[in-house]
This record gives sequence, C-alpha cells and structure tokens, in this order.
Amino acid sequence: MKPHFLAATALAAALGYAGMAYAEDEDSKLVEPLAAYKSYVADHTEKLLENTTKFTAAVNAGDIAKAKALFAPTRMDYESIEPIAELFSDLDHTIDSRADDFEGKEKDPKFSGFHRIEYGLWTENSTKGLEPYATQLLADVKDLNHRIENLTFPPETVVGGAAALMEEVAATKISGEEDRYSHTDLWDFKANFDGSKKIYDLVKPLIEKDNADFVKKVDENFKVVDDTLAKYKTADGYELYDKLSDEDRKVLAAKVNVLATELSTLRGKLGLN
Amino acid sequence: MAHDPEAATDKPSALAADRRKLLLGLGIAAGGALVSSLVSERSLAVEDKTAERQVTDAPSSNRADVEQRVPFYGVHQAGIVTPRPANGMVVAFDVIADTPADFDKMLRKLTERIVFLTQGGQPPSLDRKLPPADSGILGPEVFSDNLTITVGLGDSIFENRPWLKHLKPKCLQKMTQFTNDALVAELCHGDLSLQFCANSADTNIHALRDILKNLPEYLVPRWKQEGNVPTILPDSDGHVQSARNFLGFRDGSANPHSSNEALMDEIVWVGQGDGEPEWAIGGTYQAVRIIRNFVERWDRTPLGEQERIFGRRKMSGAPMDGKTENDAPDYAKDPDGKVTRLDAHIRLANPRTPETQKNLILRRPFNYSNGVTKNGQLDQGLLFIVYQADLDRGFIAVQTRLSGEPLEEYIKPIGGGYFYVLPGARESGDYLGRKLAEAAAAGPPT
Repeated sequence: MKPHFLAATALAAALGYAGMAYAEDEDSKLVEPLAAYKSYVADHTEKLLENTTKFTAAVNAGDIAKAKALFAPTRMDYESIEPIAELFSDLDHTIDSRADDFEGKEKDPKFSGFHRIEYGLWTENSTKGLEPYATQLLADVKDLNHRIENLTFPPETVVGGAAALMEEVAATKISGEEDRYSHTDLWDFKANFDGSKKIYDLVKPLIEKDNADFVKKVDENFKVVDDTLAKYKTADGYELYDKLSDEDRKVLAAKVNVLATELSTLRGKLGLN
Repeated sequence: MAHDPEAATDKPSALAADRRKLLLGLGIAAGGALVSSLVSERSLAVEDKTAERQVTDAPSSNRADVEQRVPFYGVHQAGIVTPRPANGMVVAFDVIADTPADFDKMLRKLTERIVFLTQGGQPPSLDRKLPPADSGILGPEVFSDNLTITVGLGDSIFENRPWLKHLKPKCLQKMTQFTNDALVAELCHGDLSLQFCANSADTNIHALRDILKNLPEYLVPRWKQEGNVPTILPDSDGHVQSARNFLGFRDGSANPHSSNEALMDEIVWVGQGDGEPEWAIGGTYQAVRIIRNFVERWDRTPLGEQERIFGRRKMSGAPMDGKTENDAPDYAKDPDGKVTRLDAHIRLANPRTPETQKNLILRRPFNYSNGVTKNGQLDQGLLFIVYQADLDRGFIAVQTRLSGEPLEEYIKPIGGGYFYVLPGARESGDYLGRKLAEAAAAGPPT
C-alpha cells in the first residue's frame, strides 16, 4: 500500500463521476474495455470473498497448515485488482497494511488484515489470538465486494492501473518485503503482473495501430517477466522469495521498470488526463 | 535598515517595486523559477538588498558557475584530470544486456544522455497528458554546471558475458578484501560505474534521475554514494591549498599535477605500450572505496598523535620536516622514522623512492556524511576515488603497503569496487565504448 498513490486515487474516486462523463463524451471507445475490466474485477472480488471465507475459517478453526496453504492464493485475487481495491483507502488500510505502517510495528494493536495474520501464522506459528483479525478481514472483504459492485470505474484509474501495478511491484515486491513472514512474494508479484497485463490487453486494440513500437516493447517486456516468473512455478503456486536468484531479480527489476515507464504513457495515449 | 518613504532617492521605490514583483511572482509561480530569477538579479545588483530577502528565497548561484562547461568529446573521458568540482557521486549498476547488440544500444543511449546533461540545454516539452521528459528539478533549462559523468566497467560485466570476456582489460579484477576492510556486499562491485561531478549536488542528482529514466532496461542501481569537497578560500597570493577530509587533514597534498599531460600519460592513461586490448587505449583504471571514518574517536585523539599518524601538520598540511603543504618530506635524512614515523600514512602511501615512483596514483576524493549508526556514532568518511594506468601497480600496491598502518584504528573501508574507465568519445557521432562494442560484435578470435 502506498500512501501517495492512495491520496491520488482517493481524489480520483471523489471526482470519478465527472471524469467518467467527460471520458464517455470524449472517447466512447473506452466503454467496452471498461466494462470488460469491471467484469474481470467482479470475478476476482467474488473469488477473493470465497477464498477469504475459507482462509479465515481455517484460522478460526486453528488449522495452521490449511491457513498457511490458503494465504498466498487468497491474496492473489486482491493483488490483481489493487488499482480498484486501493480506491477504498480505509479498507486497503485494514486489509493490506504492513507492520511498517504502524508505530508499534508487529505488536501494534492497529496492525490488522492479511499481513497481521501472516505474522501470526509464520512468525508465531500459531492461530492463537488471530480470530478477531480473521473476523475483521472477512467483514472488510465483504464490504469491499459490496462497494466495488456499486462503483463507477474511473477510466483514468483503470488505465493508470496498468502502470500503478508495476510501480507496486517495483517498490515492494522486488525486494521481498511485502510478504516478509511467509516469503510468498512471487504469488503477489504474479497477481500484480496479471492485473497490469489484463488492463493493457484490454486497451491494446485501441492504440496498437498508432503505437507499434510501444506495443512491441511492452509485449516483449511482459514476455520476459512472464518467462522469468514461470521458472519459479510449482505444482500449486510459486517458489518462496529466497529461491529467486540474484540474476533473475535484476532482470525482473529492469523489466518491471521498463514496463512502469512505458505503461505510464498509456493514459496519455488514450487521451485521458 | 529603515527606509524613509518620502526620501528623494529611487532606491526605496525600486525596492518596493521589486517586492511587488516578488509577491506577484509568488502568487503566479507559487515559489517557482520566476521568484528565484528575480532573487538572483536582486542579490547581484545591490549588496544591502540581502536585508530584504525572505526565508524561502532560493540561495543564489551565479551565471558563471552554472554555465561552466567541461567538453565531452576528447581522447579521454572528462571527470578524471579535469578539476574536481564541489560535489561528487558514484553510482554502481548491474547491467542488463545479454547480447552485443543490446550492449551497443546501451552505450549509445548512455552517451546521448551524457552529452545532453553535461553540455546543457532544454529538455523537450511533451503533451501534458504524458509524464514530463525531464524531472524538472533544475527548472526548464538544464545548465551544464560543470557536470562530468564518467563511465567505467566492472570485472563482472566481462566475466559474466562470453562475448565480452576475451576483451577484459588485463588488470581488471573484482575488489578483494584488504586486512582492515569490512566490506558490505550491498556496497561493493557492479557491472558499470558512473562518477558524477558538478558544482551543485542537485545537478548530479538530476543527471542520475535522467539516466535512470532513460535507460531502465539496461541499468539497475546497485549502490550509490554522494560526497562533497569543502570550498577553500585562496591564499593572498591566489594559491589554493588542498581541501580537508573529515579527519581535518588536507587531502591531496602530494597528488601528481593533473595539468601535466606527460605525467598523466605516464600515471593515469593507458597507452599503446601497456599490453592492454586495443579498445582500451585512452582509458584508465578507477578504484572506488567507501571508507568510513570513526570521527568521534579521532576527535578524542591528541593532536600530536593525529599528526604522527598522518605524517603531516594538521593545520598547515606541511610534512613533519617542512613548513608548507607543498614541501616534500626528506625521508633519506630520516631513515629511522624519528621525524616522520616509518608507518606514518603519507610515508607508507608514497615512500618517495625511485622504486615506488611507479606506484603513483591520481586521487579525486569526496567527503561523505550519511547519518548515524546503531551505536549512535556519525556515519561519515571518504568517498575515495583514484585513477591509474595499472591497477596492480597503482592502488593495489599502495593499499597493500598501507596494511597495518596506525590510521587503521580510525578508518574502515566498507564498500566500493574496481572499474575500467572507457576511453573518450572522439567527436560528435562517436560514442563511449564504441571500439569495445565493435570488438564484442565481431566475436572472439578463432
């Protein structure tokens, strides 16, 4: 979670309706990709709710092994729709904050959500005391689901989300600091990556004619990242972060920066402010 | 100073007009470029106007400084024998370039950015819907500001690429631990080094940001250290003595004269007869060391002891048997170290014997100050940068001789690396490392 981005997107959300009207008048060609994206997000929020229900039930039942197994896959649905999920900064704060965001770090009573439960499961190897966090997480995810259903998607946020997700990877996933207790960062990485690529793929037909070099470069870099991540695929997910070689980490860092740089022009290329 | 509004001089009204302009400027530009240009005009014009200056008025620079320009093209790269400006920064990168073609593209792009940044100009203005081409931290005009950006290649870029390995300069190697070192892996080595030097620290930072923004596919930063050199008031005869390091001693006293071209050809530049690959001629070896100074302990050490450790007088910089900084110590008259200890820093570093002449090196260091350590001590030291035509005969020989010196109690090298500085780009159209890229593309000899 990034405070500056949050502030900006919260503002975008506040202005969302005006922005939407403007964009529709100006550029109705975005309507179709936006609708497709809304349906993509709906699929993921639905799955997020389903998995969070199972995950929190395992925590509440004291089933550490099952809770651990469900942690990373459950997060993926959140991470893939982060540009939208982050619009609700209050929920993002309770669902996805890291210990760094609190003065008392891990021991801070306000530290909650996925990473608080992750800390309990891996560092303390226990579900003791996690029930209130599990209950709150499920309630928050339900709330998020409800709010997203009623949201008019601001086109700037959606299109800008492709780059925002890459910024998220560049700033927190490359270093392995996001899932520091479970080291399941590559799952989040993959989810951010897929979420970014989804947005790009949806708008690509609108720009590829006039931006052949751009499309070629972005496609090439997406492919390198995808191929590199694929090396760490396991039967049911991804290897732990510490398996990531220095060489691959460097390649990922460079490619993600290229993608963040290139995709930062996507809004402008579509005439969005 | 009280102004009489009725006074029949034009000075107060000019001030008032200036102030109105200033306020107007603040309203429109929100403290931007307009304000700072007004301020610099004002401060240059009349000395006593400083009383009128406001808290947030920018400290003013002068045109002569910001327009100082070091030529980019030449046999050698700039930033080595060119005079050292007040601010320096070294950044080491990992390079992502898997093919000779990518490597070539990187060098061309890097050269293009360095030419623009060091010679100055206006970045293009783009559609407002796009991210701006430039970070804007220097304003609409990027002044040259005495900036040099010097490119070096590390051992790993050659070793990890089969198509470059056979072209590695003969002395290039991975920096290894000396006895007093405590090297931190994250602060060491790298495929490529950039040394930025400029009149202002912001110019260096702007240049780094520009390069990162323009070459994200090739360069991943690995470590960075900024530093500066204190500016010195010239003596009454115009002579400028060496600046001081954070131990309070003059640093650079016995440096070979960088304006002596013949001497530089001998000490610094790799030439035809040096047995180096053809592409490397005109280049030089760069050793960078991040050397922490234990300044609290140093400040608690008796002055006499400090001077004996260095072998120089602290304030004047004179050797123990001399009067001024430029006096040469006569060790032949002091074989037992009664005047200058045998293990004094300057005596070990440069024993001034015929045999040790070949170990001379050109130092170009900056002081750094980073923060506070876990122990509550200041994290300060020397960003030591040194150039030589032969790394083994130069820095490595000198540092080996210094091993065990009493100064080691007060210093701890923690990072850095060895790099081969590319020869210069000769003229417009040429680019840094062209010959190396061409040799790499041609493939290894069969």
